[in-house]
Amino acid sequence: MSKKRAVILHTAIVASFILISLRLADLMIFDHKRLQARAQQQHIKVEDVQVRRGMILDRRGRELALNLEVESLYCDPEALKTHSEKMRKLASFVDIHPTRMLARIPDEGRFAWIKRKLPPQTAEQIRALRIEGLDFITEAKRFYPKRELASHIIGFVGIDNQALEGVELQYDKYLTPKGGKILLERDASGKTLSSGVTVEAKGNTIVLTIDEVLQRVVEKELDRAMKQWKAAAASAIMMDPYTGDILALASRPAYDVNEGGNARPSARRNRAITDCYEPGSTFKLVIGVGGLEERRVRPDTLFDVGKGSIQVGGKTIHDVHKYDVITFKEVIQKSSNVGSIMAGMRLGKENIYRYAKLLGFGERTGIDLPGEVSGWIMKPEQWSGTSIGAISIGQEVAVTPLQMLRAYSAIANGGLLVRPHIVSEIISPENRVIASFRNSENHRVVSEKTANTFRDILKSVTEEGGTATSASIDGNLVAGKTGTAQMIDPVTKRYSRDMYVSSFVGFVPADAPRFAMIVIVYKPKGAIYGGVVAAPVFREIVRQALSYLNVPREDSLGQRALLVSR
Amino acid sequence: MIRKTRMSLVTFVLRPVVIVLLFAGVFGLVYLRSNVTKLEYSLGELEKKKVQCLRDQKMLFAEKTSQLSFARLESSPDNRDGFILPDRLRVVHVSKDAGSLPRYASLKQKHVAGP
Repeated sequence: MSKKRAVILHTAIVASFILISLRLADLMIFDHKRLQARAQQQHIKVEDVQVRRGMILDRRGRELALNLEVESLYCDPEALKTHSEKMRKLASFVDIHPTRMLARIPDEGRFAWIKRKLPPQTAEQIRALRIEGLDFITEAKRFYPKRELASHIIGFVGIDNQALEGVELQYDKYLTPKGGKILLERDASGKTLSSGVTVEAKGNTIVLTIDEVLQRVVEKELDRAMKQWKAAAASAIMMDPYTGDILALASRPAYDVNEGGNARPSARRNRAITDCYEPGSTFKLVIGVGGLEERRVRPDTLFDVGKGSIQVGGKTIHDVHKYDVITFKEVIQKSSNVGSIMAGMRLGKENIYRYAKLLGFGERTGIDLPGEVSGWIMKPEQWSGTSIGAISIGQEVAVTPLQMLRAYSAIANGGLLVRPHIVSEIISPENRVIASFRNSENHRVVSEKTANTFRDILKSVTEEGGTATSASIDGNLVAGKTGTAQMIDPVTKRYSRDMYVSSFVGFVPADAPRFAMIVIVYKPKGAIYGGVVAAPVFREIVRQALSYLNVPREDSLGQRALLVSR
Repeated sequence: MIRKTRMSLVTFVLRPVVIVLLFAGVFGLVYLRSNVTKLEYSLGELEKKKVQCLRDQKMLFAEKTSQLSFARLESSPDNRDGFILPDRLRVVHVSKDAGSLPRYASLKQKHVAGP
């Protein structure tokens, strides 16, 4: 009997083991894939790789754009417990009216944003409320520590860190790394186990050619000019005339880049490259350079401008002041319209057009910023009878401030047209230079001799008897040219009597320039002339910039210095 | 007879050893696995702390950068006279080549070479 029971027991045990083995085989072999997928779903979490835009630095490595890690508040509508007092407090923390906040929460679904990218203190206050159904997600927020500084260069990003303007937009593909997914293990309670995998992808760092201090100096002086002349707008660009490195570029009005989305469109306009204006007398550069290069004029060529006016195609053009017989050098120095038109007529319309194009007018400079316009100059066959007179004094043409600066830089560097650029290097997160823009694409547009001769003429503009004595500084020679142009009245479509563009463009030190710069003030009130409105701004910027760049005074060269030993 | 006795002895010794080793092995495996999981939890916590530290570091870095901006230094109330660039009249440029100019100023020697 006991043997029989033992056999039954053994048989039962063996049968059980066989059943268990079969079940195991079913689970582990036959149904393996489905069950593995279910298991993975339970304990493997798929997360997006956190994409972080690269930094933007100035030429000396000072940070202009970086990332913060902030928290965004969301709710699970199904799990949300709306306690009225707590919700009222929450609404005050996120600065939304309680009814509007509740309206954002849908009745169905498991996810809805309440407020994104909260300041850390606010996130802590909300966390302390312990509202069930609310949680946070960490996100990257673009932060611009210098606020308004270089706003038109840097640009800004949207709420999802999508590039919208400036360098952020132009170099987006370098700044934004590729994302992707990563797998993280978690337990039954949802707690994440260590994966050892990096969950952050960093973008490349962009190094700009601008210098924070020079940029600040330029912006500060523009602000001062805007206030002094109650101007509608202003622009200034400082550039290395040899390499095309933009050292500073500013427009007014400006905006805080951290609040870029809320800025007025007029404040967001990068007038230095997106706005055209009639340049006025600064365009006499084309007549001067063309005339000298084609040997139609020499600095001492005499022009009889005694009448103070000239008739061109039935239109009379006047000089501001009357002169008698003056040399071509004086035509530029005193900015005589009559003399310039006479020189323009000697040069001829074909040559004027050719030299305007050679100096880069009517085409984009190729600067690496979005939105640049090409300006406008008519082909000679489209010119009217008055065009040769108008174009010789900078009317009937539309240029950008950057085009004008580039043309004067060609005089500063001895006749080469440079390609302006705002980015000098792109550096990978591993600190490897992956692109460098230091190799400039300069090409000769005028002979060195012509450039040097015209440079000497431009030096006289800031000397006694010139139109821009207020641009001269102690210790160094300044070469440049003033411009005063009437604006077109948008209502009458004719030249306005009270809307002007005042400008000064030049370079310093005149014989070995460290930088070239243009200053433009739109619609100044109280004065209109470039020599009165823009030239003093130029001087103030130059004074500070030369000090910052440690440029020696030319009048101290060769003099003995007294040093006192410690 | 003697042979049978020897076999029994081996069996007598090996059987418990094998059983003990088997249990110890299973226990060891479970213990090891639980320790690995424990470590993974600790590492997960540490990673969270690291992320928090990195977040704070980024915040502090941004704060430092804001504080060191040229515009802020200029307008700082501590900087009562304003942050000013040096007067170029008071800056002496020491040339390396010019024979007539002072060429070398050494703080170590407390002496200025030159004319």
